[in-house]
Amino acid sequence: MIINLKGRIDSSNAAETESKIKEQIGDFTGEITLDATDLEYISSAGLRVILRLKKANASTKLVNCNSEVYEIFDMTGFTEMMNISKAYRKLSVEGCEVIGEGANGIVYRTDPDTIVKVYKNPDSLDEIHNERELARKAFVMGIPTAIPYDVVQVGDLYGSVFELLNAMSFGKLINEGVSVDSLARQSVEILKTMHSTMLKDGELPSKRQEAIGWAEYDVEHLPSQIATKLVDLMTAIPETNNMLHGDFHIKNIMQQNGENLLIDMDTLSMGHPVFEFAAIFAAYIGFGCVDSENCAKFLGITTVQCREFWVSTLKYYFVGKDEEYINNIQKMAEIICYARILRRTLKRFNGENEGQKAVIDFCKNYLVENIPDTQKLYF
Amino acid sequence: MQLSKKLEGNKLTITVSGRVDTITAPEFEKYINENIESITELILDLKDMSYTSSAGLRVILKAQKLMSAQGSMTVINVQDDVMEIFDMTGFSDILTIE
Repeated sequence: MIINLKGRIDSSNAAETESKIKEQIGDFTGEITLDATDLEYISSAGLRVILRLKKANASTKLVNCNSEVYEIFDMTGFTEMMNISKAYRKLSVEGCEVIGEGANGIVYRTDPDTIVKVYKNPDSLDEIHNERELARKAFVMGIPTAIPYDVVQVGDLYGSVFELLNAMSFGKLINEGVSVDSLARQSVEILKTMHSTMLKDGELPSKRQEAIGWAEYDVEHLPSQIATKLVDLMTAIPETNNMLHGDFHIKNIMQQNGENLLIDMDTLSMGHPVFEFAAIFAAYIGFGCVDSENCAKFLGITTVQCREFWVSTLKYYFVGKDEEYINNIQKMAEIICYARILRRTLKRFNGENEGQKAVIDFCKNYLVENIPDTQKLYF
Repeated sequence: MQLSKKLEGNKLTITVSGRVDTITAPEFEKYINENIESITELILDLKDMSYTSSAGLRVILKAQKLMSAQGSMTVINVQDDVMEIFDMTGFSDILTIE
């Protein structure tokens, strides 16, 4: 239930305000949100009203406080006692340079150092908070990434503010002639930093759970023995709390003043690093299983460079391991990758598209041929 | 942006005043790098720092990384506006602020 607070609440109207609110609440026992958008001032008499509301219903929270009102709550210790949040900063993007446009939003440069991604859907507040929380989590845990600022209101829409990197992606650097091998080596450093960051249980979504979901979706499209074994293999991967990026490729690694930074943290999750390799394999080779130009086109480099980046990534990550070990890792990555692509393509398939049909057949054949000899999908 | 320093043994206090932004941040970074050799305690006094952009934040972050390898770093006298930026970005969770 949302209750709007208006104007000033002080000793002259606190009692009246309180009885009005109580009337509104009636015998409602669910979550109560006090919206302070139009609240200009609150005195100690008003604070006592809030306190009693909170006592009567522990879930009571306050949102959209302006800075002065928020300061009163902060000074009096109310912010530590209950959930109180400020109004979103309002930002105008009028006259700002558009630096990118995606399916769900437009990215503007707001000043020399910051960008704002404004979401087209006015109901995307949860998604925005989720994405920003992930970015912030990675940032404070020491992952080199663009600095996430606040969530802002842009007219009727919402946006997320980030640091503008004055940087070149690894993809661009490859096109400028920087060696694929050296960039792959640098990318592995970030990957290792990330994978050695351990999270608490439940702090990020579990990649293993997601992957079991792919396998279960694939079940009815595969011969039963293969299907059962795929689910068993996926389930047998240990649940671990390593931080995973989930979309780790050359377009998402940026270089700024000699420092390498990751962007696009919205696919952050946790789990066994084998899942990261499955996603990396997908980006460089897997999505091109039928048309090898696919990956190259998406990443803006050549097919040969895609393959080279993948091979070098394995070489540097598993330094000191022999060829057989590395081939085995690649096989695990392939199986997880094709299980994912199979499900993803099946979900989109309308029964006609020849390209999609070829991908589905490829993935099925791959899994049928390779699963029987596979012992496990983790290292 | 103005920078000054005070050295007491292995403890160095760097005072930053004015605005740290894309233009001034490289000078700030250079100043830190040139002065922290053999320093085990770095104090960043921000009492006169009125604004920092992400470029300034990144310099502070790098200083924090360098110092955690050789000692400690503390940020003091943070003004309200700058503190708000620290809170917003999560810096207040990763820096020692007094």
